[in-house]
Amino acid sequence: MWSALAENINYAAAMILFCIGFYTVIMRRNVIKKIIGLNIMETAIFFFLVSIGYLKGGSAAIVTQGAEYTGMVNPIPQALVLTGIVIAVSINALSLSLAIRLYRNYGTLSVDKLKEVNE
Amino acid sequence: MALSHHFVIYVVITPLLVALLIPIVNRWKKNWIIPLTSLALVISLTLSILLLPNVLASGYLSYHMGSWEPPFGIEVRIDFLGLFMMILILIVTLVVAVYSRRQISSEIEDGKTATYYALYLIFSASMLGFCAAGDIFNMFVFFELTAVTSYALVAIPGTGRAIKASIKYLLMGAPASILILFAIGLLYSVTGTLNMADLADKITSLGYGPVVIASYVIFITGFAVKAALFPLHIWLPDAHSIAPSPISALLSGLFVKMGVFGVIRLVHSVYSTNLSFDLGVISGFLTWVAVAAVIYGSIMAIMQRDLKMMIAYSTVAHVGYILIGIGLTDVRALMGSMYHIMDHGLAKACFFLCAGSIIYQSGYRKIDDLKGASRQMPLTCAAFALASLSIIGVPPTAGFISKWYLVWGSLNADNVILGVVILLGSVMAAIYCFRILYYMYFLPPLKGNWQDTVGEAPALMVGTSWILAIATLVLGIVASLILPNLQKAIEVFYIS
Repeated sequence: MWSALAENINYAAAMILFCIGFYTVIMRRNVIKKIIGLNIMETAIFFFLVSIGYLKGGSAAIVTQGAEYTGMVNPIPQALVLTGIVIAVSINALSLSLAIRLYRNYGTLSVDKLKEVNE
Repeated sequence: MALSHHFVIYVVITPLLVALLIPIVNRWKKNWIIPLTSLALVISLTLSILLLPNVLASGYLSYHMGSWEPPFGIEVRIDFLGLFMMILILIVTLVVAVYSRRQISSEIEDGKTATYYALYLIFSASMLGFCAAGDIFNMFVFFELTAVTSYALVAIPGTGRAIKASIKYLLMGAPASILILFAIGLLYSVTGTLNMADLADKITSLGYGPVVIASYVIFITGFAVKAALFPLHIWLPDAHSIAPSPISALLSGLFVKMGVFGVIRLVHSVYSTNLSFDLGVISGFLTWVAVAAVIYGSIMAIMQRDLKMMIAYSTVAHVGYILIGIGLTDVRALMGSMYHIMDHGLAKACFFLCAGSIIYQSGYRKIDDLKGASRQMPLTCAAFALASLSIIGVPPTAGFISKWYLVWGSLNADNVILGVVILLGSVMAAIYCFRILYYMYFLPPLKGNWQDTVGEAPALMVGTSWILAIATLVLGIVASLILPNLQKAIEVFYIS
């Protein structure tokens, strides 16, 4: 069992990171901390995606004429991660600016206190 | 290659490009924004209707971006179900865009009109892209684009309540998007492809291993949050009732359906229905959750005191109906689901537009304040009444057709309980709709409410809500034109 875990240590790490992020989003009562949790979840998934395409000792996937096609790192997951990062950044910017407006309106970022205010 | 070959992509790109133009136009010609928005949507609508004969003849249209062949290139693939959704999206967004011309100035600050319409067009275009995407990653990207613009559109009034609703929505929606990306990663790790048609082949030949099943469950969970399936719906009532009324109409009428359509696409085009049959537990679980959604949503709608809140909870119930149809894995039930997506989209948009007109004219949001509304706003109330017939499912409206097919499908699958639940849901819908209608038509106004100074809403707002209300009626009458095509498109999934 331990050797299987050692081989797939990247997946295990991604899952642990994902769970930490998920826990933060669900359990923390501060909006900023929830947003940080969101980022941890995103990072976990990006890590997972990159590690799918990783090849030990692989080269970058630049194909020139007559070159060998073997031994290259899969570029598609990297492209996915790049797109994913762009999306993550936009969500981050939006959520943080919303958090700023929230603080200006209510003077608090605590979810419990925000629940009590009804206007 | 003929120009018409590229129509497929212009349908999605036109609103997206015009969205970029709007902030520029805003600097010089402020009055051009709304005509330009409408023009972009009209062009898309015309192109998508021109595509219809081709799609009906050949089953689907496939367009390869930059002429790279799939599965390596990006494929845009429009089948009948996708085109059906696209035409629905374009009709509703066009009508609502015209409606917001007068209404939106009362809900947002003057300087934000350009932002509103730019976001509006990106929102519409990305929903179109979602329906047209031929690979799961583009589906995800368009879905995120829709989600991010919808968070911004909910928050656009800038009031404390709007910001609060938006961030609550974002904190539920963003983890769901991450789940969808995770599922894409899982699926890619075993199949090595992202193209839907290719994925379906690979999954069939690989068999349903644990990774495939895990990705299926995670996908469904992610889309269920976006579709506001009970018990993951808690963001919906706040977001849909606090957003500006035109945006509520789009969110409830269309955006929630994107989550549902995502489930339909995945179950049928990627995993193929066999998976649902093999894993009877998952599809059975989905059905029973949907049943809970119907009952819970209807009861909560009956209990609400705020008009827009009631309409929002009714959406939770109606998502339940649609998912019952998917979980049944039956041709007729799925036809009912697709038809329900359409008629609920139109009727619910009409509900929110009427609620928006009432708030615009009188400022009343509470249901008690609606007593006697028909004296001052007869046309708006009549549109509301017509749309509520479709929500309840009274013949000959479109809502009746879809519920008929859902019940037929559930009886076909020997599942009498589901049929009973659908009919029970109709009874509860009748309770919450008729309560409003009773207040509007048969009760005298509360003291000081509905003075003579409160008049009928502007013609543009009344007219647009009537277009949607009449559409629900007409689509019930001409259902025989659409249903055979729908059946043909759906039977493909079930005959293997």
